[in-house]
Amino acid sequence: MSAAQAASAPALAIPARPRRRAGVWIAIAVVAAITVITCLPAIGVGLDIAPIVANWRNGATKIVELLTPDWSFFPRTVAPMIETLQMAVLGTVVGAAISLPLSFWAARPTNPHRAFRGAVRTLLNVIRAVPELVYAAVLVAMVGVGALPGIIALAIFNIGIIVKLVSESIDAQDAGAIEAGRAAGGTQAQINRAIALADAWPAFVSQTLYVFELNVRASTVLGLVGAGGIGLLIDAVRTFYRYDQLSLIILEVLVVVVVIDLVSDAIRRRLV
Amino acid sequence: MTDPIIAQGTGAAAPVPWGIRLDGVTVRYPNGTVGLRDVDLDIAAGEMVCIVGLSGSGKSTLIRTINGLVPVTAGTVSVGGQRVDAARGARLRQLRGQIGMVFQSFNLAGRTTVLNNVLVGRLTHTPYWRTLVGAYRHADRQIAFEALDRVGILSKVWDRASALSGGQQQRVAIARALAQQPRIVLADEPVASLDPPTAHGVMGDLRRINADLGITVLVNIHLLDLARQYGARIIGMRAGEVVFDGPAAGATDADFEHIYGRSLTGDDRLDR
Repeated sequence: MSAAQAASAPALAIPARPRRRAGVWIAIAVVAAITVITCLPAIGVGLDIAPIVANWRNGATKIVELLTPDWSFFPRTVAPMIETLQMAVLGTVVGAAISLPLSFWAARPTNPHRAFRGAVRTLLNVIRAVPELVYAAVLVAMVGVGALPGIIALAIFNIGIIVKLVSESIDAQDAGAIEAGRAAGGTQAQINRAIALADAWPAFVSQTLYVFELNVRASTVLGLVGAGGIGLLIDAVRTFYRYDQLSLIILEVLVVVVVIDLVSDAIRRRLV
Repeated sequence: MTDPIIAQGTGAAAPVPWGIRLDGVTVRYPNGTVGLRDVDLDIAAGEMVCIVGLSGSGKSTLIRTINGLVPVTAGTVSVGGQRVDAARGARLRQLRGQIGMVFQSFNLAGRTTVLNNVLVGRLTHTPYWRTLVGAYRHADRQIAFEALDRVGILSKVWDRASALSGGQQQRVAIARALAQQPRIVLADEPVASLDPPTAHGVMGDLRRINADLGITVLVNIHLLDLARQYGARIIGMRAGEVVFDGPAAGATDADFEHIYGRSLTGDDRLDR
């Protein structure tokens, strides 16, 4: 009975499924072709995996050394690690302080002047395009070896990230309260402070914590170009092939980064 | 109708209400939509006017030309004898400071306190440095407290605005408008997001502002029973033109059918 009913039910008019198979295959073929061309010795990078086979024993001893950290090296790592954290804190504070007004100037609801906004955004795109290691290398040449060029490099790097993310969150906010401020006769600067800041605050704090995490990680490598912190020590032990000591430093960085992740996650959860 | 000498006077405690005059006002939006079509309107100081019409009829545009949130394409708008359409910058902000506005979606900064939201109404009387550091004058805070008391919500002064119910939020928004010590209050669909009992409460507040303080009040509303009950004068809008203008007492169902351009349904009334 029920089968008969199902059979007698009117057939659904399902539209024909659009065919896009060909496009997908073409895309896959293009990616594969580019990959193969890149590996060709004549025009590409000349990828050759033979050294991995020839030198595997060499690599194996390094891995064994990395797996046996030199714990006695710990006391010498404490001061550089603290310097790394200090650089991260100072870089974050300076970067965040400069980022706050820039974030308002880069967002549409808080800066209606198109040309001004465009100039701020262009400047920030330029800042973001340069990696922090390059800033550090140039700043070491400008202000000398030490923590200072590292802190300045981190601050510049942070401005690029914070302003980008906070201004996007301001752009996405409901503009109603800002319209109310305009209707009440406030200047844009007053409206930004009295209204927009309250709504942007969680995004700002959250992104500041995020760049602090990035800074701890980034400041470990800034030392490689002479910009202070534990990176200087990494460079030294690497030069002497002390992979057991390098291993200890990597472990310490890992512990510090995990602890900071946990703490900032806990803080972020309380931001509602 | 408006006596310019009285209108220019700067009353101390209770500001003298302003009249509103539109002459041949046309608003064409950048996308080509015509919001208003050659509108002439004269509203006397101290009137309580309900503007009715379907959504898209131009009532929202009309109310926004009065405080310059929407620029006019042609014609002149003046409040208290002073041109709004020709005013720019500080002059326009000064005029807006005299005109309170209430919105359909309340337009509060949800993440900050009720008091901070009401203090937005004091922005034109506050120098930027005071806004920046949040140091509002004692007198301005007092005005904010009194405005909250007038709408019966002073007990919520330290609450976060987003923690309040819709009706409470709209009362905060009315208090923000009152804190401006305005000569005109504009309300754009103030009860469209509220349930019926709350809607009557908010409309009652607006009527009291008109009756007790003598402030000119314009309310956009699409519910004809509320318009009849709370307005002294009704202006009907259709397709950007004024199609009805007369005392609320004399507005018949036939008049509303003419405004809406169709027969009335249950949705046109709040209380069925």
